[in-house]
Parts: sequence; structure tokens; C-alpha cells
Amino acid sequence: MVEAQELALAYAGGARALDGVTLSVAPGETVAVVGESGSGKTTFGMALGRVLPVGAERVGGRLTVDGVEVFDAAPERLRALRRDTLGFVFQNPMTALDPTMRVGRQLARATGRRAPEAELAALLARARLDEPERVLRAWPHELSGGMAQRVVIAMAIARSPRLLVADEPTASLDASIRDKVMDTLAALSAEAGAALVVLSHDLRLAARRADRIAVMYGGRVAEAGPAGEVFARPAHPYTAALTAAAAGNERPGERLEPIPGTPPALFARCEACAFAPRCPMAIKRCHDERPETRRLAGRDVACHRAEEMLAAPAREAAR
Amino acid sequence: MTAPVVELEEVRVTFGGGLLSRRTTEAVRGVSLAIAPGETLGLVGESGSGKTTLGRVCLGLLRPTSGVMRFGGEPFGRLKDRRGQLSVVLQHPEWALNPRLACGVSVAEPLAILRRGGREAAVTRMLEQVGLEPALARRYPSELSGGQRQRMAIARALITEPRFIVFDEAVSALDVSVQAQVLNLILDLQAAHGFGALFISHDLAATRYACDRIAVMRRGEVVEIGPVERFYATPETAYARELMASVA
Amino acid sequence: MRLPRDPLSVLGAICLAALVLIGLLGPWLPLGDPTAIGAGPRLGWPSLDHPMGLDELGRAFLPRVVDGIGATFLLSGAAVLITAVLGTILGMAAGYLGGLADDLVARGADVLFAFPALLLGLLVAAVMGPGAVSAVAVISAATLPLFIRVVRSVTLGVAGRGFVVTAEVAGASAWRVMLVHILPNVLGAAVVQLTYALSIGMIIESALSFLGLGVQPPDASLGSLLRQGSPYLTIAPHMVIGAGLVLSLAIMSVNLVGDAIRDALEPLRGRPLT
Repeated sequence: MVEAQELALAYAGGARALDGVTLSVAPGETVAVVGESGSGKTTFGMALGRVLPVGAERVGGRLTVDGVEVFDAAPERLRALRRDTLGFVFQNPMTALDPTMRVGRQLARATGRRAPEAELAALLARARLDEPERVLRAWPHELSGGMAQRVVIAMAIARSPRLLVADEPTASLDASIRDKVMDTLAALSAEAGAALVVLSHDLRLAARRADRIAVMYGGRVAEAGPAGEVFARPAHPYTAALTAAAAGNERPGERLEPIPGTPPALFARCEACAFAPRCPMAIKRCHDERPETRRLAGRDVACHRAEEMLAAPAREAAR
Repeated sequence: MTAPVVELEEVRVTFGGGLLSRRTTEAVRGVSLAIAPGETLGLVGESGSGKTTLGRVCLGLLRPTSGVMRFGGEPFGRLKDRRGQLSVVLQHPEWALNPRLACGVSVAEPLAILRRGGREAAVTRMLEQVGLEPALARRYPSELSGGQRQRMAIARALITEPRFIVFDEAVSALDVSVQAQVLNLILDLQAAHGFGALFISHDLAATRYACDRIAVMRRGEVVEIGPVERFYATPETAYARELMASVA
Repeated sequence: MRLPRDPLSVLGAICLAALVLIGLLGPWLPLGDPTAIGAGPRLGWPSLDHPMGLDELGRAFLPRVVDGIGATFLLSGAAVLITAVLGTILGMAAGYLGGLADDLVARGADVLFAFPALLLGLLVAAVMGPGAVSAVAVISAATLPLFIRVVRSVTLGVAGRGFVVTAEVAGASAWRVMLVHILPNVLGAAVVQLTYALSIGMIIESALSFLGLGVQPPDASLGSLLRQGSPYLTIAPHMVIGAGLVLSLAIMSVNLVGDAIRDALEPLRGRPLT
């Protein structure tokens, strides 16, 4: 469904947001792209539909979505891709919904045809909204954050897209409804048979919902692999550092270990390992040679010492 | 036995019911708790649980509709009289500091309000304590990262050596690694300065890392309150166990 | 703050600067004597000696227009200044203090807003007598309500931000919060609104003077010059055209500069999809 090969992208002004992303998403698969600010995950998610600011330029590699070369396609082909194949869910539902239109009308517009109210209500019911008829008649500002986000999700799958991209879909929502909203997202995309790409900084969310996890750092995919294994047995030191810094897995009294240093801001292709300055396992080679993405024990990992990482015993569960 | 820093006794907060509206909302229903000096109490709950309202009561920003709020064993009095004794660190790093003021000026503001001198030295001292280069005092907030801004906010919160600090979702908007840094900072600073703290959050994982005791709020009431160890094992109430499930 | 460099903004800025300069330096420019009656034929058409022709008393029209520019800018500028100071204080107080202050200010502004500017002009002129002072009062009264609304609205937004709440907890007085925290963050939107108020003010001033309620002869403003020239529109249109063109130019350049400032402060450029 998605095939990114060494995709590199720079913004106007030279900031290099993506520095060679290699990732693939199979049809119907759920992939969580995890990373901190500056990792490039949002840029990658938006690149899938080429929803990028003026001046953003592809400076290397290719990106294919549903057979369409995103950065080489003609405008009409691209528009057709966005309209029929892609669906986007953004972080803030209140800005995604038009405040001047009732929900029902926006939902009808999202379907692209004159859908009868019963059908729209059924769509909202599938999105786990109680009282769908009442929601259809409501204005966006009358909805709670969780309800609004579920409406947005319903709108995104209205045209049965084959790829859904969700950028921090639950970040601005309460902890209590996050699960419900993620359930909606997972269920609706499964029903539509769509692949789902979730961009998130929340490791637990990613681990629970995804088939595969891709960890991004410095504009590249540090490692990608099956959800159950990536955090339990990291192949990349950054993934290990991330799980060590995340609250929730520590024992009482144990200290969290933040990663020393700050993420890089790239302006040119990084000819070494972007994580090397902060990596506890860095050797000379990491500072000199750019690690290529290789396949190792079911993972795609870009690290010179991945074999040693995998050989180490898996982290025990916290409880 | 020293008096608790903050003590709430059967506090109720009801909104609405003014001249024109008859609808009232009970945000807080009869909450009693006490925070000892040097202790961090976590306040966990969903939005609508009343935790933010309770935080505002503890800061003296909101008068309870009924019940008593005591500060250091005495009735709270007016916020004006308590200047410098309490402070707050809020959620959004992008609005924590006035974008039009240099960071150092923002950090020194509580001292300026108290009309105390020696501000530059105090700012330098605080910045070092929160792990920031003193030179950053001259920069503007837009030039700093979210984590740096939040640390500036913490420096500002500590500059008057308050007895009580409220952290309201203070780490929720931060990246994983930065969150760890700031949480560690809060732990270290409390060990060094001995302030009492209220740590409000929806994130149980971060809360139990930073707190000595945790209170769980739901619909305006405290449904469970106990030592943090309980929240690493099994809490007593079903609701608290539900919240725990999201931490696994 | 990055100033826009697009042609229209630059043009507007240059025009405005030129007009203001001419208005300020008018009396010292070698453009002729605005009061010399009989300097040329009455209602004379524009020529090399008199680029804007002559009026019905034979006075050269160009220097009168230059005087007019100065007067128009001065009056509208003074009025907008009053609006700025008064409106900022009232708007911030309404937005930040809320309660009774908000009710009084907001409702008061609404009442004032309901009056059309010219009706206000008639009322004020009836009370204070026509003239420059009453023109300033009217312009101020007419531009105040919208300005208060804008300041109040921005204040409401700023008042909820973290740094304001933190200052309150630290014990800052309401005055301190408004002066140190709210005002600097309101200035941007206020300046933008003030430039628009200026252009509206110039239109109102011209309308008042055209009706005879503003600047009185022998003083001239662009509006009163229009009034002066309008009876002769068919036989000697150069007066109306001259004054009208300059007025249009002045208003347009103020608007363009206002747009440029707004774009510089709030670059909400729509992001076209690549």
C-alpha cells in the first residue's frame, strides 16, 4: 500500500525533515510511527498525501502510495489519490470540523454524494457515537472532544479510503476516552479494509494497537518491526533509550533515564548515524559511517550494532 | 507535628446559579485532604473530575462554595497576603512565559511583585538549579524548546522559595525523554527545597513516578487516596484499577 | 516581524510616506500661496503654472490641496490617537476584569456602534458647533466601538494563558497584569485595527467637512475642498477631481499599509497543497 524508499524531504529554508525514510505498509495493516518532536513523523504522515507546505521539496528517494508515485504524479492523479484513497485524521478535532456547519451536513459532504440521513446515522453508530441522530443535528462546538474526533474519523472513512493517516489522534483528548476513540479508529479502518498509519509520541498507545511499529529519529526510521517485539527487545539503542525514559515501566523507586542531549536539526544528509552523539553504544564507526537499513530477525533496523542489541536479553515486564 | 501546608475540609465548589441562570454544576463535592510539608500529592482523574477546580481552590484562585481551605494551619485569607508562598506550573509550555518578555524577566517576576532586589543573582541561581544555562535568561520564549520553557516556568515557580507548588498537567505536553528530565527535576528540587506539592495529571504513570501519595478523583469526589506503592500494585477501588489498566 | 515586500505593500507605504511628508512640510514647500486671491484666472484649468488649476476666487488649488492633506491627516490622526488610548484602556478592562466593567463597556460600545457616523456628526455638531474639534470628537466616537471590541476580544484570549494565571498566583495586581502581560500582547492587533480606523476616520472627516460640519473656511481639508469644488463640477471639474484623487490615494495607501502590518504580525498565509 505504501512504499517509501530512502525518502528525503526538505522544507523551504533548508531544514531537512526527512533524511532517507524506508518503510512499507501492507494493505490492511496498522503501523504506528513513533517518535519525538523533530523526528519527522508528522512530515512523513503528511507526505503520504503530499499535504506539505509551499516550498517543501523532495530531495531524494521515492514514495509510492497505492501505486501512485506521490512526488511525480500529475495534479489530477494526486487529487484523485487524496479524494478516493486517503483519509486523514488530525490531532485537534475542533479545527478539523467547520464550525459554521452542522455535523450532518459536513458528514454528508464527506461522503461526496447525497447520502440519506439513515446512512449517515448508521455511520456515526459504527463510530460508537450514542444518539447519532442528535449528533447529526448538532453544531461542532456542542460536541465534546471525544465525540468530535469520532465524527472526524467517520468523515475520514466515509469514502472507504484504502489508507488512513492519523496524526496524534488522541493527543488532545482525555485519557478516559482515548481508548474509545482508538477503538473506533481501529474498528472502522478494519471494516473498510484500510491500512492505518498512526503517528504518535505515545509508546503505550502504539504498542497496544499496531501490527507493526516504526520508530523514527532524525528523519529516518531507526527500526521497524512487529509491535509486540520492538519495545520488548529493541534492535536500536534509541528504542531502548525511549522505553527507559518512558514512565510506566519502572519499578517503584527506580529512576527514569532521560536521553542526554537533544535531537538533531538536519540541514543536509547525515553521513553518520544521527543518534550517535547521544547513543550509549556508539563506537567510532557510528560517527563516521551512515548505517544502512537492513533486515534482521524480522526487523528493519538502521544501526551498526543491531546484532548486539538483539542478542541482549529481552527487558522483563514491569510487573 | 507541623501543620499541613494545605488542608481541605469538606470543600464544595458549585458553579452557576447566578442571577440569570438556574443551572448549577457541582464541580467538587465534599473533598477533604491534607498535604504535608515536603510531600507531593498526586491528583489523578479524567477531565470533568474536578481536579483542575480543586487545584485552583488550593491556589486561592477560587473560593469554595462551602468548606474550609487552610494554608499552613491558618485560614487562607487573601491571595495578596500569600504572595510568594505558593506558585504554579501549568500545562502548555508555549504559553507558560510571556512571549514579549525576555525569559529572565519572566522568571524574576515573582520577586518583582514582592519588590525584592537581587533579582539577577536569584535568576542565575535558579536557572542553574533547573539545569539551564544562565545565558538563556536573555533569550525570548520563542527561541526555546518546550522542555526548556517548562524548566523556566519551574525556575520561576521556585524563585520565592514557596511552601507549596501546584503542578497542573505540567509534563503532559512534553516528549517522552523531556518528560523524564522534568519529572526527575521536580523530584530533585523537592528533595532540596522541601516544598509541598500537588501534582495534577490524567497520566497515572507520570503521577506515580513523581508522588508520595495519590488521590483519585471522579465526578467531584475523591474515590481513593493512598500511598503510591498501592498504585504500583493493586489499588482498592475498581475505578482506580481501570485507570491502572491504561498504564500497562 | 517581517515586513511584506510585495509590490502593493511597498507602493502603499511609499505613497503614504509621501503624502504625510507633503502634508507636514506643506507650508514650506514652494508650491504657491493657498490664500492669495487672484493669483490667476478664476476657475482656471490646470496648467504648468498651476498644476491643479485655480478655484473660484482665483487661488491656486494645489497649495490648498496640500493644506488639505495636512488637515485631513492631522484631524483623523488626532482622533485615532484618542481612540487608541481610550479604547485600549476600556477594552482591556472589559476583557480582563469582566463582570460589571465588561457589561458597562461592552454595552456602551454597542450603543455607540448603533449610531451611523454621520448621525453622530450631526448630533455632535449641534452640541459643540461645527469645526475641527467636533470633527475629531465624531471620528473618535465612530471608531471607538469596533476598536474596543477588538481589544476586548484579544484580551479575553490572552487572559487565559498560562503566564497570566501564573502572574495572578504570584500576587500580581490587576493593573500589573494588564500593563505588563496583556498590553504587549494586544498591541499587534490594536495597531492593525488602528490603521483601519485611520482610513475610516479620513472618510468620516471628509464627509463631515463636505457637509459643512467639519473644517470651516478659510481652513481647508480634502473634504471641504470637495465641498468647495462641487458646485463647479460641470464647468471646472479639476477641483473635485484633484481633491478626490488625492483623498482616494490617501485612504488607499493607509489601507495597504494596514494590510501589510496585519500580514507581518499574523502571517496566516493559506498553505496551498504542493
